[in-house]
Amino acid sequence: MRVIIQNAHLRDGRGDHGAHDLYLQDGVIEGVNLGGKVDETFDAAGRLVTPAFIDLHAHLREPGQEQKEDLASGLAAAAAGGFGTVVSMANTTPPVDDPGVVASLIHKAERLGFARLRPAATLSRGLKGQELTDFAALKDAGAVMITDDGVPVADGHLMRRACEYALDHGLVIQTHSEDPGLRQNGVINEGVVSQRLGLPGNPVAAEAAMIYRDCEIAAMTGARVHIAHVSSKRGMQVVEFFRAQGAPITCEVTPHHLTLTDAVLETFDPIHKVAPPLRTAEDIAFLRDAVRRGVVDSIGTDHAPHTRAEKDRDMVAAPFGIGNIEVTFPLLYTELVEGDGLPLETLLHLLQAGPARVMSWSVPTFEPGQPADLVVLDLEAERAVQPETFKSKAKFSPWEGLSLKGWPMLTFVRGCVAYMSG
Amino acid sequence: MTPTHLLDTQDWSVADVTALFNTADVMAQVMERTIKKVPALQGFTVGTLFFEPSTRTRLSFERAARAQSADVVSFAAGSSSLSKGESLKDTLRTVDAMQADLYVVRHAVSGVPHQLARWTDARIVNAGDGRRAHPTQALLDAYTFQKNFSGFDGFAGKKLAIVGDVLHSRVARSNAELWTKLGAQVTLCGPRTLLPPELEQPNVTLTTNIREAAEGAHAVMALRLQGERMQAGLLPSLAEYRVRFGVTEQVMAHAHPDALVMHPGPINRDVEISGALADSEGSVIEAQVANGVSVRMAVLYMLLVGRK
Repeated sequence: MRVIIQNAHLRDGRGDHGAHDLYLQDGVIEGVNLGGKVDETFDAAGRLVTPAFIDLHAHLREPGQEQKEDLASGLAAAAAGGFGTVVSMANTTPPVDDPGVVASLIHKAERLGFARLRPAATLSRGLKGQELTDFAALKDAGAVMITDDGVPVADGHLMRRACEYALDHGLVIQTHSEDPGLRQNGVINEGVVSQRLGLPGNPVAAEAAMIYRDCEIAAMTGARVHIAHVSSKRGMQVVEFFRAQGAPITCEVTPHHLTLTDAVLETFDPIHKVAPPLRTAEDIAFLRDAVRRGVVDSIGTDHAPHTRAEKDRDMVAAPFGIGNIEVTFPLLYTELVEGDGLPLETLLHLLQAGPARVMSWSVPTFEPGQPADLVVLDLEAERAVQPETFKSKAKFSPWEGLSLKGWPMLTFVRGCVAYMSG
Repeated sequence: MTPTHLLDTQDWSVADVTALFNTADVMAQVMERTIKKVPALQGFTVGTLFFEPSTRTRLSFERAARAQSADVVSFAAGSSSLSKGESLKDTLRTVDAMQADLYVVRHAVSGVPHQLARWTDARIVNAGDGRRAHPTQALLDAYTFQKNFSGFDGFAGKKLAIVGDVLHSRVARSNAELWTKLGAQVTLCGPRTLLPPELEQPNVTLTTNIREAAEGAHAVMALRLQGERMQAGLLPSLAEYRVRFGVTEQVMAHAHPDALVMHPGPINRDVEISGALADSEGSVIEAQVANGVSVRMAVLYMLLVGRK
């Protein structure tokens, strides 16, 4: 199978290469301007062609919660968002704590032909926060990350032992850092808005204190700890404090924490309910600044789909989570690059080389022999977010109707079309 | 134009509230007659949707509806087939099939009346949502003050002190919203664990000192203290609370000489308010209950028929 993408304006981690004809053969990059016979031809005139994005944080809900999402819908949605690789979270039913489940997820995903699946496994057996899972066997089965994401690891001792144990297996520990005692039953950021709306608040201190604990453990053990979804200024300041000391910490921010404040909850629509909660304009400004200053390593979507019925419950009963993987790039391109002066290369870095480095994977480029995972982006045409067209099963969005630029037109995974617009 | 719903009093203008109080005056006269019934809402159906148990407020609304000849259908979450996991929207769909014109909604979680208002064409009256709002309580409190304060000459320059568990109180939030809209000053008072600093705003001050709160107040309102606050680590003991935050004759000595004593009920006698004070001449606690019916009659009338 040989494919040509004509007039491709190429841009990868090494820089901007201008317009060329890009050839893909048998799942890898063959080279540029080679000529010769091809099986399929695509034209990318006027579009940007760049390595497919990497998401280290998505909830694909399989096994057991297929009413919300499954591998087919979730990985198709990822491809539609320009992602070629997804690390799926393990807080499923049952949780992914068994090597056999890891292997079967990978096997199933490979037959689908959408984005690549690289599953995370839980840190604790049954996600119960008591005993460690079999890290070595899980890794052998294909798990790339250890995390109880969705549930904070309350027991500091367990987190310490997980970090120590992970060292010998080269596994990244991702933390959902929120102190359960401080968080209590909070459903929204604690502050002016929560007090006005009379909803139980989740204070910034719950996140900042737990990030501090997890960073201390990383510093003590030397384990590779990736702090998921840092949502607050104070939480990010803790990360910076430890990074300045050279602790082995990396961190992630999400599209929603970079663009939405707690004020959206004034509508009392639980589609905005997420953990950690949406914070304030001051937090957003600080997170964006941290992105600019290179403190942030990756943008993880924390794509967390639920059914509409689950989100049509009251603000306390409705589950936490926002589906966003299909709007992540257009949203951040429009709001941060076009709207807030962030260099495009920084945004691309946080979706490509940034997450690859977090995982110690090779940085994606268009060098011959590299995997032919790439996305064709239209940075010009504006289109409104239309949740009914989502590949994800969660066909609703906090950004419904918002006009955005930067839509993925075409996504290749392993040299084959994983998504085509329209 | 009367607002479509009564979710809170944010989009109710002072003119709306004044019109409501004038209507309540008419309703109060109805309730003084031998035959306490008028045909004003004949043909209308009022549905009471109480997802959280409340006998007093539901009775008050049902009385207000029936005194105007409206039909009443009642839905109580405890006694119905509402099962855990059913979405709010599905519950409403079921109830909506009964074609009520207006729903009176109470729910333990803030915002549910807003959610229901999005999904039905009927009018919604909030009878208490979580910690957020209890607008008819605030309206009847302000109405009671207007009727009972000696030589009432408007809300401007008046001070309302609200004492107790402000954190969990929709009564405190709604009264602060309404009384400041009407021109009064509001002081919220309680132990620091139950007094969120974010509630401070123009004309709303906070203090943990009950004497300071009562100083010169024209009305002092005690809030019910829930027993479970001790278990949640919010208060050390009932005894300590009573000494520092109980509304007593000694506290009232700091208030305006004609100050009214108020309580949204039900009362924990000799916990948040001394029993003698609750029964004293300055207490309008019973008047609050009676006025509750008149004010709720006026709310139903204004939302279903329009301004008089």
